[in-house]
Amino acid sequence: MEEIHDVSDELEIKVKKYQRGEAADLEWLMQTEEGRLEAEGLEKTWRFNQQAIASEVDVASRKNQFDLVLPDLGPYTLDYTSSGRYMLSAGRKGHLSIIDLHTLKPIKDMQVRETVRDVVFLHNELFFAAAQKKYTYIYNREGTELHCLKEHGAVLKLQFLKNHFLLSSINKLGQLHYQDITTGQMIGNYRSGLGRTDVLQLNPYNSVLTSGHSGGTVSMWKPTSPSPLVKMLCHRGPVTAIAFHPNGHLMATAGMDKKLKIWDLRKYEAIQTLPGLAKSLDFSQKGMLATSTGSFVQVLATSDSQDYSRYMIHTMPKGYQINKVLFRPYEDVLGIGHSSGLSSILIPGSGEPNFDSWVANPYETAKQRREKEVRVLLDKLPPESIMLDPTQIGNLRTSRKKEKPTKEEIEAEKAAAVAAVKNVSLKKKTKGRSKPSKMARKKQEGIEQAKRSFVEQNEDGVMKKKQKRITETSELPVALQPFVSRKAT
Amino acid sequence: MAETKRKTNRAPAKRNKKGKDNKWNKGPHLPNSLKKELDSLNPRDISDEEMQSDDDIDVYEYEEKVPDEELKKNRSIGLMDDEDVASDDEDGEDEGKKGASDEDDEDGDEDDGGDDDDDEKHARMLQDITGLPGDAFDGKKKKNNDVVFEAYPESEYNPSRDVLDGDGRITIDDLLNPLHGKSGFSKIRKDVQRIDKKSKSVLPPLPKPQQEKIDRKSTYVYSKKKLTEYEPLVKKNREAPTIFFDEDIDVGYSTVGAIASEFRPRTEFEKKMDLLINAKELSDAHKSDGARLLELNKVSAEDVKERQDRLAKMRSLLFRHELKSKRVKHIKSKTYRRLLKKDKSKAGSIDTEMDPEAAKELAEKQEFKRAEERMTLKHKNTSKWAKRIKKRGFDVQDDGTRAAISEQLQQHALLTRKRNSMHDGETSSDDSMDDDDEDISGDEDDASKLKLLEKGKKRTLEVLEEDDDVPKSGLLSLPFMVRGQKKKKEAADEEARLALEEFDSSLKQLEGDDDVKNKNIGSLGGRKVFGAQKKQVSQSKIKVNNKDNYFDNSDSEDDGDITEDVKDKHDRINTQKDVTIDTNILREESEVGHDPLFKVSFDDISKDSGPKIEYDVSLVHTNTSKKKRDNKKHSNRVESGKKAKVMKPEVVEPAAKVMKSKVAEPASNKDVDIEHGDDDSDTDGEIRMVDGVITSGTDYELPSQDDLIKRAFAGDEVEDDFEKAKQEVLNEEIPEPEKPVLLPGWGQWTRIQKKRGLPSWMLAEHERAKKKRDEELKKRPDSHLKHVIISQKLDKKAEKLQTKVLPYPFKSKEHFEQSNRMPLGPEFNPATTIGLLNRPEVVKKPGVSIKPIKLKK
Repeated sequence: MEEIHDVSDELEIKVKKYQRGEAADLEWLMQTEEGRLEAEGLEKTWRFNQQAIASEVDVASRKNQFDLVLPDLGPYTLDYTSSGRYMLSAGRKGHLSIIDLHTLKPIKDMQVRETVRDVVFLHNELFFAAAQKKYTYIYNREGTELHCLKEHGAVLKLQFLKNHFLLSSINKLGQLHYQDITTGQMIGNYRSGLGRTDVLQLNPYNSVLTSGHSGGTVSMWKPTSPSPLVKMLCHRGPVTAIAFHPNGHLMATAGMDKKLKIWDLRKYEAIQTLPGLAKSLDFSQKGMLATSTGSFVQVLATSDSQDYSRYMIHTMPKGYQINKVLFRPYEDVLGIGHSSGLSSILIPGSGEPNFDSWVANPYETAKQRREKEVRVLLDKLPPESIMLDPTQIGNLRTSRKKEKPTKEEIEAEKAAAVAAVKNVSLKKKTKGRSKPSKMARKKQEGIEQAKRSFVEQNEDGVMKKKQKRITETSELPVALQPFVSRKAT
Repeated sequence: MAETKRKTNRAPAKRNKKGKDNKWNKGPHLPNSLKKELDSLNPRDISDEEMQSDDDIDVYEYEEKVPDEELKKNRSIGLMDDEDVASDDEDGEDEGKKGASDEDDEDGDEDDGGDDDDDEKHARMLQDITGLPGDAFDGKKKKNNDVVFEAYPESEYNPSRDVLDGDGRITIDDLLNPLHGKSGFSKIRKDVQRIDKKSKSVLPPLPKPQQEKIDRKSTYVYSKKKLTEYEPLVKKNREAPTIFFDEDIDVGYSTVGAIASEFRPRTEFEKKMDLLINAKELSDAHKSDGARLLELNKVSAEDVKERQDRLAKMRSLLFRHELKSKRVKHIKSKTYRRLLKKDKSKAGSIDTEMDPEAAKELAEKQEFKRAEERMTLKHKNTSKWAKRIKKRGFDVQDDGTRAAISEQLQQHALLTRKRNSMHDGETSSDDSMDDDDEDISGDEDDASKLKLLEKGKKRTLEVLEEDDDVPKSGLLSLPFMVRGQKKKKEAADEEARLALEEFDSSLKQLEGDDDVKNKNIGSLGGRKVFGAQKKQVSQSKIKVNNKDNYFDNSDSEDDGDITEDVKDKHDRINTQKDVTIDTNILREESEVGHDPLFKVSFDDISKDSGPKIEYDVSLVHTNTSKKKRDNKKHSNRVESGKKAKVMKPEVVEPAAKVMKSKVAEPASNKDVDIEHGDDDSDTDGEIRMVDGVITSGTDYELPSQDDLIKRAFAGDEVEDDFEKAKQEVLNEEIPEPEKPVLLPGWGQWTRIQKKRGLPSWMLAEHERAKKKRDEELKKRPDSHLKHVIISQKLDKKAEKLQTKVLPYPFKSKEHFEQSNRMPLGPEFNPATTIGLLNRPEVVKKPGVSIKPIKLKK
C-alpha cells in the first residue's frame, strides 16, 4: 500500500513539474461562460425570434439589437475591428461611417460621393481602407485621406492580413494585390486568370487568401507565389461566398448551384453539403455559420455531432437585400448590412465570451492601443511566412531533387567523377600488362570516359530539341520529311 | 701527392742503392704501434724517415726498374721527405721537452748544406762587423727554423700527435720546471702542492648537444606541469553555462563622506591646518561638554587692541580716499578734464614708448574701440539725442550742439578712416608680399601685372555672378527697398563690367607677341561678346520689366517669353556687331554700352514688342476665363448627369430585382455577369448601359431554347475545364516523357524495318519514364482528389524559414519536428525558468574590467 502511495505522490510531483507549477485556474481567467439557446421538448431553437430573445437578455445585450435605417445610400457593407468595439460601415453610394458600439455613437460619418465597394479596418480603429470607384484609399478615423492606392485598380474586395500588415485586394480584372501598409511596398501582384470576382476571404489560421470564381473553383493564394497554392472545384456554378472557421480547418462555400458546402481543409473534402443559396457567409468565433439570401438570414451551428444544422433564422422586412453578414467578435452579435441600412441581431453563443487583452481588448485605452501598435509592429511577420501549413516553419526542408542540375553542379560532378577515376589504383596484372605506359594509358582512358559521359549528357539535351523539331514535321510522309526546309515551318 | 707517391713506389730499387745516404734500412715489417714503442725505447735508432718509407713499402710489394729521369725526381722527393722528417722531429722535441736543437742543427747541415753554408758565412760576416757573439744571430734564425705550422688548427677533430699517442698530458710540473731557480719559484710550487692536495678531479663538461638535451628534458617536464596547472580551471569555465565576474568587486567610494574620511594631509599647509584642527586639546574639548572651548578661544587684550587700531586706520584711509575721489568726480571743469586726459594719455604714451607691451595693449585697446564703433555706430548720429536734433533741424540748434554733432561725426569718420587705413595697410602689405613673391619667382613686371589684372578680373566676375539674396522679411524686403537695392546692384554691376572690360583691354595691351595677340583676340572677343550680351540682356530685362509694370495682369511666364524674344533680337544685333569687332575697338565698345543711341534702339525694340505682348496676354486671359467658364459648365453638366444617374438606379433597381427573381436562378456565367453589372450600376456609366437594357424590364425576352440548354449544362463544362486545368498543371510540374521517335529516314527504308517498328530499348525507356511519372503523380497529395490541385512548386522565399540539415542533437526528423511544437517564450513558461534560460553567458558589472584568471589551490 505504501509503495502505491509513494508512486502516486511521485506522479503528482511530476505532474506539477510538467505543468510548471500549479495548473492555471481557468475559473479566474475565463470568468464568463458561453451561453446558447437550448430547446426543450418539441421546441426548436430557430423558432425563437429576436423579440423573444430581447425580453430575456440584460440591458447591455439588448443594446446590441438595433436597426439603422439608411435607405438612400444603398446596400451597406461592414467591418468590425478585431476587438469588436468599432464598426465600420460603407454604403455603396459613398457613405462611410465608424460607430463606437459601446456608446453607439458615430465617431465619423462622411460622404465620399463615389461608389464604395468594400471597406476594411487596418490594424486598429484609427485607419481603414475603402475600395472606391477607381482607386482604393486609406483614411484615418477623422476621415482624412492618407493614401491613394492607385496600383490596386478598381478593387472589388479588400482583406487585411493583420499579422503581416498586408492589405490585399482583388480588382475588376481579377488581379490580386498584396501591399505592405507599413512600408508601402507592393509585395505581390498576381493575375488570377479566372475572371472577375468579388469573392475573397482570408483564412485566419494561415493567412492564405481564398478567392471564389465563376467556374465554380476556389483558389488559395499566398503573396510569394504567382500560382495558386490550391485550386478546388467546389461548385458546378459560380462561387458566391466563402467563409473560414477560426481554427482554419473548415471552409464553407456557397455557389449558384444552390448548394452550401462545408469543407475539411486538411483533406480537401466536402464534409457536408447543404441545400440553398447564400450571398454572404460568415463563421463566428465559436464556429457558427451565418448565411444570407435575399432578406433572409440563417445561422447554422453544430451540436455534439460534426454536422451543421439550422440554429437560428432571422428575416428582414421584404425587399431588403442583405449584402453582408458578419459576426461581431467577443459578442453574441451578428451584423447585417443590407440595401436600406444596417442591422444587428443577437445570436446567443456565437461569440467568444472571454477576451484576452493581449490579443484584442474591447476596452482598450489610447495608451494601450499605442503600445499594442508598437508591439504588433515588432511582431510583424514577413510575407513569406504565409503558407498552407504554418507549422512547417522551422522544420526540416523536404529535399526535392531539382529538374535540371545547374552548370556549376554539372561541373562539380564531372570533376568528382574524374577525380574518382584518377584515384583508382589499378590491379597488378601479369608480366608486361602492367607496364607503366599501359597503366598510364588505361588511366587516361578512364578519365576520358568519365568526361565523355558528361559531354553526352549535354548532347542529349541538344538531341532532344532536334527531335522535337522533327516530330513537328512528322505529319508528312516519311520519305519526304528529310526534304522539309526549316524556313517553311 | 698521389702521383708522387706512385712514383716513389716504382723506384724502391734505386732507393735501396742510395740507402746509405738516406739511412735507408731494410728490416722486418712492424705495425705502427710497435714501432712507436720501439721508438720510445731508443728514440734515435730508427729515423722517422724509415717509418714513412716503411709505410709505403708494406703496402706495395711490386718492384721495378725505373728510368733515370724519374730518379732525379725521386731525389727531390727524397729531399722533401727529409724536410717532413725534420718537422716530425720537432714534434718529438715538444714531446720530450728536451733540448733537441743540436740534432736539428745536424739534420739541417746534412740536408741542406748549401743553405747552411750561406748562413754560416752570413753569421760570420755579421760577427765580424758587429763584434757580437754569433749566437745572437743564430738564435733568431733558429727561431725561424723552429716554427713550423700545422696545416689545421688543433682541435678535437684535428688532434695533435701527442693526444693521439696517449700520455701526452702536460702537467703543472712540466710548466714549472723551466722556472726552477727563479725568484718566487718555491712559493709557486708550494701553492701548487697545496692545491694538488685539496683538488679533486673535475669531470670534463658534457658535450653541448647532450647538455642541451638534458636541459630541454627538464624544461619540458617543468613546463608541462605548469601548463596543465590551469586546465581544470579553464575546463570548468568553459563548461559553465554562465560565468560571473562581479562576485567580490569593490567599485570604490559611494559617498562624499567616505572620500572625505580617507583624506590625509600632504602639503605643509594642509598639515598645519590638520594640526590645528585635530589638536588634542580641541578634540578633547569637543568630546567633553564644550565648556573648555570658550577657554581655548581666549585672546589677549593687547592683541584685540592692536587689531582694532589697525582696522580703524584702514577704515579712515578708505574713507578719505572715497571723499577725495568723490570730489574729483564732481569737478565739472572741462579744462580740468582735458588736462587730466592729456596727462593720462601722456603717461600712457610714455609708457608705450617705454615698453612694447604697453604699446601692444594700447593698440589692442584702440582696435577694440574701432570694433565697438563699427558695431554700435555710436557716433553716427544714431543716438536718441542726435536723432532729436536731426528732427528739429540743424539750423535751429545753437553753435555748441552743432559743433558737438560735427565733432561726433568727425570722430566716427576718424574711427572708420583709421580702420580703413589700417586694413589698407594690411592688405597692401599682403599684396606687396605676394608681389614680392611673384617678383622673386618670375622677376617680370609684365607677368606680375598680368596676374594682378587677371586677379582683378576674376574678382569682378565673381561680384557680377554672385546672387544677391533678397531678404524675405524686415525692412529690406519692402518693395521700394528692393527696387532701390536692385538699382544699386545694377549700377555696381555696370561698374564691374566696365572694370572688366578695362582689365581685358589692358590685358590685351600687355600681350607682347603678335601671335599671342591674335590668339587672344579670338578668345577676348568671345568673352567680350558674352559680357556685352549679358549686359544688354539685363538692360532689356529692365526695360521689359518697366513695361510690364503697365500691364498689371501679365503673368510671370509671359514675362519670360518676352524677355527671351528681346534677347533673341539682341543676339542678332550682337552677331552683326561681332563681325566688325576688332581688337582696338574693344575698349570703345565698352563705352558704346552707355551710348544713348544704343538705348534708343532698345527702347524701340521693347516698344515694338509691347503691344504684341499685351495682345497675347489678353488673349490668354480671355481663353482661360472661357475655359474656366466651360469647365464650370461642364462640371455643372457632369453634376447634373451624376445626379441623374444617381437618381435613376433608385427608381430602377427594384424592378431589376423583380426581374431577376422571375428569371428563376439559372446557374450560369452569364447570370453572374449580369449581377456584377448590376452591382456596379450606380455610377459606372458603361455598365449602366448593360444595366439599362436589362432593367428596362418591359422588353425582357425569354431566353431561347439554346440558351436555356447551355445554362442547364454549364456545370458539366466546369468539371471538364477543371480536369483539363489539372492535367496542365500536372504536366507543367511533372512533365510527361516524350514519345520515342526515330529520326525520319532512319531505319524505315525497308518493309522489314518498318514492320519491326521502334527499337525495343527505346520503348522500354519510354515505359520506364512513364512509370516513373506515374509514381510521382501518385505521390502527390492531390493524386486521389479529382477536384483539387495542390501546387507542389517550391517557394524559394519560404525556404529560408526551414532548416536545411537536421540540427545536431537530433537523430530523426520526427523527433526534431516534435520538439519544435513545444511552445517557448515567456507566455508559456514561468519566469524563473525563463530567467535561467535567458541568462547571458557572462554576468559582470559594467565598467569593471575583467581580471585574468587566478590559480586557486
